[in-house]
Amino acid sequence: MRKNRSRRRWSGPAALACAGVLALATACGTSSGDSSGGGSAAEDQGGFTAPDIPMQDSVGDPEGQVNILAWPGYAEDGSTDKSVDWVTPFEEETGCQANVKYFGTSDEAVQLMKTGEYDVVSASGDATLRLIASGDVAPVNTDLLKNYPDIAPFLKDQKFNSVDGQMYGVPHGWGANLLMYNTDVVKPAPTSWGAVFDGASDYAGKVTAYDSPIYIADAALYLMKTQPDLGIEDPYALDQDQLAAAVDLLKKQKENVSEYWSDYLKEVQAFKSGDSVIGTTWEVINAVAQGEGAPVEAVLPEEGSTGWSDTWMISSKAQNPNCGYLWMDYITSPEAQAQVAEYFGEAPANTKACALTSDKTFCDTYHAEDADYAAQIHYWTTPIEQCLDGRTDVTCTNYGDWTTAWTEVKG
Amino acid sequence: MHQLRRLDDGLDRGEGLTLSIIDRRPGLRVGLLLTPPMLWLGAAYLGALGALLITSLWTQNDFTGNIERVWTLENFKTLFTVEVYRTITVRTIGLAALVTAVDALLAFPIALYMAKIASPRAQRLLVIAVLMPLWASYLVKAYAWRGMFSADGPIEWVLQPFGLNTPGYGMVATTVTLAYLWLPYMILPVYAALERVPDSLFEASADLGAGSVHTLRRVVLPMAFPGFVAGSIFTFSLTMGDYIAVKIVGGTTQLLGNVVYDNQGAANNLPFAAAVATVPIVVMLGYLAAARRTGALESL
Amino acid sequence: MTATAISLRGLSKHFGQVRAVDELDLDIADGEFFSMLGPSGSGKTTVLRLIAGFEEPTAGTILLGEDDVTRRPPFSRDVNTVFQDYAIFPHMSVVENVEYGLRVKKVGKADRRRRAEEALETVRLASYGARRPHQLSGGQRQRVALARALVNRPKVLLLDEPLGALDLKLRREMQIELKEIQRDVGITFVFVTHDQEEALTMSDRVAVFNEGRIEQLATPVELYEQPASAFVAGFVGTSNLFRGEDARRLVGEDGTFAVRPEKVRLATSAPADTTGLCVAHGVVREVVYLGATTSSVVELDDGPTVTVSHPNTDTSIDAAAERRDQRVVVTWRRDHLVSLGSPTQATSPEEETA
Repeated sequence: MRKNRSRRRWSGPAALACAGVLALATACGTSSGDSSGGGSAAEDQGGFTAPDIPMQDSVGDPEGQVNILAWPGYAEDGSTDKSVDWVTPFEEETGCQANVKYFGTSDEAVQLMKTGEYDVVSASGDATLRLIASGDVAPVNTDLLKNYPDIAPFLKDQKFNSVDGQMYGVPHGWGANLLMYNTDVVKPAPTSWGAVFDGASDYAGKVTAYDSPIYIADAALYLMKTQPDLGIEDPYALDQDQLAAAVDLLKKQKENVSEYWSDYLKEVQAFKSGDSVIGTTWEVINAVAQGEGAPVEAVLPEEGSTGWSDTWMISSKAQNPNCGYLWMDYITSPEAQAQVAEYFGEAPANTKACALTSDKTFCDTYHAEDADYAAQIHYWTTPIEQCLDGRTDVTCTNYGDWTTAWTEVKG
Repeated sequence: MHQLRRLDDGLDRGEGLTLSIIDRRPGLRVGLLLTPPMLWLGAAYLGALGALLITSLWTQNDFTGNIERVWTLENFKTLFTVEVYRTITVRTIGLAALVTAVDALLAFPIALYMAKIASPRAQRLLVIAVLMPLWASYLVKAYAWRGMFSADGPIEWVLQPFGLNTPGYGMVATTVTLAYLWLPYMILPVYAALERVPDSLFEASADLGAGSVHTLRRVVLPMAFPGFVAGSIFTFSLTMGDYIAVKIVGGTTQLLGNVVYDNQGAANNLPFAAAVATVPIVVMLGYLAAARRTGALESL
Repeated sequence: MTATAISLRGLSKHFGQVRAVDELDLDIADGEFFSMLGPSGSGKTTVLRLIAGFEEPTAGTILLGEDDVTRRPPFSRDVNTVFQDYAIFPHMSVVENVEYGLRVKKVGKADRRRRAEEALETVRLASYGARRPHQLSGGQRQRVALARALVNRPKVLLLDEPLGALDLKLRREMQIELKEIQRDVGITFVFVTHDQEEALTMSDRVAVFNEGRIEQLATPVELYEQPASAFVAGFVGTSNLFRGEDARRLVGEDGTFAVRPEKVRLATSAPADTTGLCVAHGVVREVVYLGATTSSVVELDDGPTVTVSHPNTDTSIDAAAERRDQRVVVTWRRDHLVSLGSPTQATSPEEETA
């Protein structure tokens, strides 16, 4: 029931822009999750060095308030839906009044963090490195967070949340992009992304795909597995030729696409009505569509998948660092994690939350404790000119190039 | 002008000395009256437009996402040399023209009936009926059409007995949806134009020997023309700028608005988005200039 | 006896419960300048619109010459209308307006232009062809409307209060001009007005309308000198009316009598010879200067007030003004008294022959 309500909230007219953004929100995790890259994260990530920002060594008296910059749905205080409230207990517990500002895009989050007016931020993967590199966030002393030991190990010390083994935040939650299909129409059940690429013509006019330049990574991931000759090592590190190959694949796919989606409710509706029968999806969409009686299943195809992972970070200019730490600790507590994860529809980083969710199968549905599953996810990251896969002999295509390419794909 | 004078009368009656100075200085009077709206127009509206144009001449740093204030025509070069943008521009203008034509065809008989045939009571009800869809959210209406065109929607249901299928999401659905959304904006000006035409003009035409068709062609349509022009400015510009309806019912179709949105919202490439945004502005300026040449704007 | 241009037989038009036109019989002769006079709501405009075809009659027939046009639409009736608001097409130039009817009838361009220019010449707008309607004055627009109707050479021209929107001076000029034009072109004019002066000035015959019926149909002179009813006597010019007790005392007979103010004389003492005169005594209560004439309101000892009108032959009104509150004697000739029977008695000879 609660999930239903949250869905409705985003379906409101004013939230349409948000819905599009939300797509990105949940999609803009960063950096690939497999730990294949050697050496330090800094070297891998385009060669920047993290500025020397001091780390807090203790949590003092609360300042009485904390300014939170968050994705919509990450810091609910009951104003949206009376039964959805984990901010008020925090305020009562710590005496820190929470001032929440929701942001719409990762870019907006980066801009707002530069003002220094916010103490903590829930940053997605494409924002984290930029915040670290620009010195806007400070390293996080995980010893000060009593819930940190309960965070799933496969989320710690990742390229998108740490530099040289130093954590710059505390993991919040994650999810994968899956392949959803109509079980009445798509037989046998697909096991490969090939069903929406090379085999898309089987479902001509009924294929759907995510409407964002970042979806190029899905094509790149498929090419990485099926055409080794192209030499793709990381779906977010594409040189000109590799990008062109991905674009070609997507242009062929387009001939069979009914529509691209960015509003997740639109996808639910399209699968229900039969306008779409196969395409990329999120776990939450699958759950909602099944809940509404659509004959759908979602699988993690054999090639692996793209996905997102979000991290709570603290500002280097935080005016309320103590309350900031208290918030980071609170929001990663099993209780809060259970509520956020269920409300938002993603895997909680703190696996102890799994015992507290109202739907006891929630963590299984979202594979929250499944490290192998998580390892197959290539978390979304912003492509930059310095190839993320470590190549130095070529210049990779950046997100601007991807945007142009995506426009060309759609024609 | 009448309104100005009436306002002045109010001032005269209401206030004494201070305002009598204003009263004696018509220049000052008009100045005071027009300054706030002009400020709004100048600063807020033209200022924003100017900022947009200036932004389009800058570039964006790809990693930090910061705008780099170096003058360059790079964005416009991309816009004109990359073929996909030309295709999208042509598609958008074509769609705007098509939606305008469809709306004009639909609006004319409705407006004519409302203005000249319906009883005063029916007229009031019809005006409300035409306005009513404007009270409903744009999104609700767009999603309603999404339902209409869906594979299990009413259109499929109606067409299936004839061996036809719903056209699905795409240009057809977008045209229909936008034509539906903007129809009131076409009906109302055409209705207003026709309503202003004295019945005696139609009687005079009949009196001089003209049948209905001739009267329609030589009197009614020319008299409605300013209304069509006014309405078309709405339908054309609203279509030129739309990016939401096409996302909902357009399938894979993309318009200029989507390119702007994708570049600004997703890529945060404000300079390029600004450059793309200048295209509909230029098109609309051209359209307004053409509308002005017809002289229709003067009789509005 | 001339040919009949329009015959209306048993013509009725009801708007809901309202009988705008009530079983009207009327014949209008060829080449006649015929006026329909009456207050607003009397049905005169409705009759005009029935003739033009803008309204469908509830009952009755309309004949144009020999043709029964009762059920024909406006565009197939050989009449043209000059509208009260002129109904000039604002999106056409003056000459295009005038040409409109010819264009509809597919008259060749050269012929059409020539005839339009002739028509504009007739209404003295020869050089105005290229102008747009909004560049014209009210009087000029009125002439364009006239030219636009005349150019079609209709059998009948219908004019719906065409001078109503003009100022007094222009209206007077146009009255004369209209009459001249009518004489020149020789077609039947049916002229609707609520202005009795206008009707009297221009018309060959006038029908006075009241509540959907014709009260009197007569020449202007008859209408003025021999009003058939109290309504006509009051509507056409002004009249002093004597009824019942007043009539018995002042006229010495039962009935309703009218006498025109200018037919009444004012004196300080009764004349010696009162043969054929009515004499009454009273007090001047009001003196109104009207330019060419002065009106005096006299309250008679016998009850009613009488308005007396006399020409201003003096250079000042002092003499007249001095009479205020003075006792006076008013006299009028007995043969100037009009006996107002019931309207049916007041038929004129012309109507019988029509």
